[in-house]
Amino acid sequence: MSTSAAETQPLQTIRLSDVCKSYGDYPVLKNIDAEVARGEVVVICGPSGSGKSTLIRTINRLEEINSGSITLDGQNIHAAMRTRELNALRSRIGFVFQNFNLFPHLSVVENVSISPVRVKGVAANVAHEKALKLLDRVGLADKAQAYPGQLSGGQQQRVAIARALAMEPPVMLFDEPTSALDPEMVGEVLAVMKSLASEGMTMICVTHEMGFARDVADRIWFIDAGQILETAPPEEFFKTPRHPRAQRFLADLRH
Amino acid sequence: MIHDVIAIIQDYWLLLLIGQYPNGPLGGLANTLILSALSIALAFPVSILLALARLSKWRLLRWPVTALVYITRGVPLLMLILWSYFLVPLWTGADVPSFVTMLTTLVVYQGAFLSEVVRAGIVALGSGQMDAARALGHSSLGAMRFIILPQALYNMIPSIISTFVSTIKDTTLGYVINVPDLTFAASQVNNQLLTQPFQVFFILAVVYYAICWSLTHVANLVERRITRRRAGLSGGAAPVLVSAKIVSEQL
Repeated sequence: MSTSAAETQPLQTIRLSDVCKSYGDYPVLKNIDAEVARGEVVVICGPSGSGKSTLIRTINRLEEINSGSITLDGQNIHAAMRTRELNALRSRIGFVFQNFNLFPHLSVVENVSISPVRVKGVAANVAHEKALKLLDRVGLADKAQAYPGQLSGGQQQRVAIARALAMEPPVMLFDEPTSALDPEMVGEVLAVMKSLASEGMTMICVTHEMGFARDVADRIWFIDAGQILETAPPEEFFKTPRHPRAQRFLADLRH
Repeated sequence: MIHDVIAIIQDYWLLLLIGQYPNGPLGGLANTLILSALSIALAFPVSILLALARLSKWRLLRWPVTALVYITRGVPLLMLILWSYFLVPLWTGADVPSFVTMLTTLVVYQGAFLSEVVRAGIVALGSGQMDAARALGHSSLGAMRFIILPQALYNMIPSIISTFVSTIKDTTLGYVINVPDLTFAASQVNNQLLTQPFQVFFILAVVYYAICWSLTHVANLVERRITRRRAGLSGGAAPVLVSAKIVSEQL
């Protein structure tokens, strides 16, 4: 059964077709066309204000788009639909925020287990067990009963990743997951992301961590002024960037 | 003076406590407490509904509620009480007991005030919490119930308690439409004694102070307990806990 399912499934998981978005007269995304294959890790990089965060937020419809379409396994995320369908669709796309956005009134294990219980209707004890396993996986089993306010930034972000994984999403989006962290905590978060990637998770990451991009990404999307200017495997992108804007961006990074 | 006060309490304690009951309607302190408790118990959920309506994306819900809140906040409570007292029977032809009139008016009035407190609490939380809840697949109402409101209401406890306390104090205005509460009983006592208004109303002031102070005190205890739980501590000094709470909210 699994083989036939694999055959019928299209290769691409996420497809963006001619996506445009503007705030009033100001265009933030211009005719974005791109695809992410199953199991692929894509890193979006580009200068600040280029539209990276907006782009990734449109993929689970935290931001609306003006035209075009974004599909997940063929299902249009931005189609008119009942909110119930949209919520179900969103729960299949994990999202990790720059500022963690953990729920400060809930303990760490509750943060991870509340969504399976309240959204999917998983039994509380089952969700609790699973949450503990996920926390163990991100190296925070001993912090299960702690509250987010007692954790370091790196620990909070790892809890946020566990919280997203609790919904068993086939796709994970990361919006600058290490940008709000002290430098010595960046490594622990990237390590968790690397292990996810090695397990075949489909991932889209907005990040300024070029080391991570080089080691983990299958492809880099370079974006500036709301347009994807270049997509290339990391070794090609970092050695021989084609677009002049990308060359300038990489030159600036080296200073 | 103290002797007078003690004498008044000895002579009239039953009237001050339960009014004319069982020979007449329940009144006095008992009625004040019932009216206060019902007003608060009803105004609180009403205020949450009003706040959610004002934050709704549907204009049909948002605009009428916004108008209601603005009008209610811009009119003195006494005026609202007199309106509902005289106009509701005129319009509906129904004979509404003054207690019900007073309760309804207080619920609408304090509900409108409280809704602004609740709304401020929700808005002050920022969009990150809602984004996170939506990204995990929670519905708007589910996110409100399990993620947003528990935080917003907790953060607003001091303001919410102030409104509760002012609700209790506003029950005294029932006096003008003959709601037999503690103020009404005290003024009956004053009419009988005629010469000791200061002593009588001193008793009244002390009783109201005790009620309001108790409520504030209980609320502080509750707030401290929640703070302590969220800081993950079973004991410890309050100042430390407060700083822990601020840290968690900045993140």
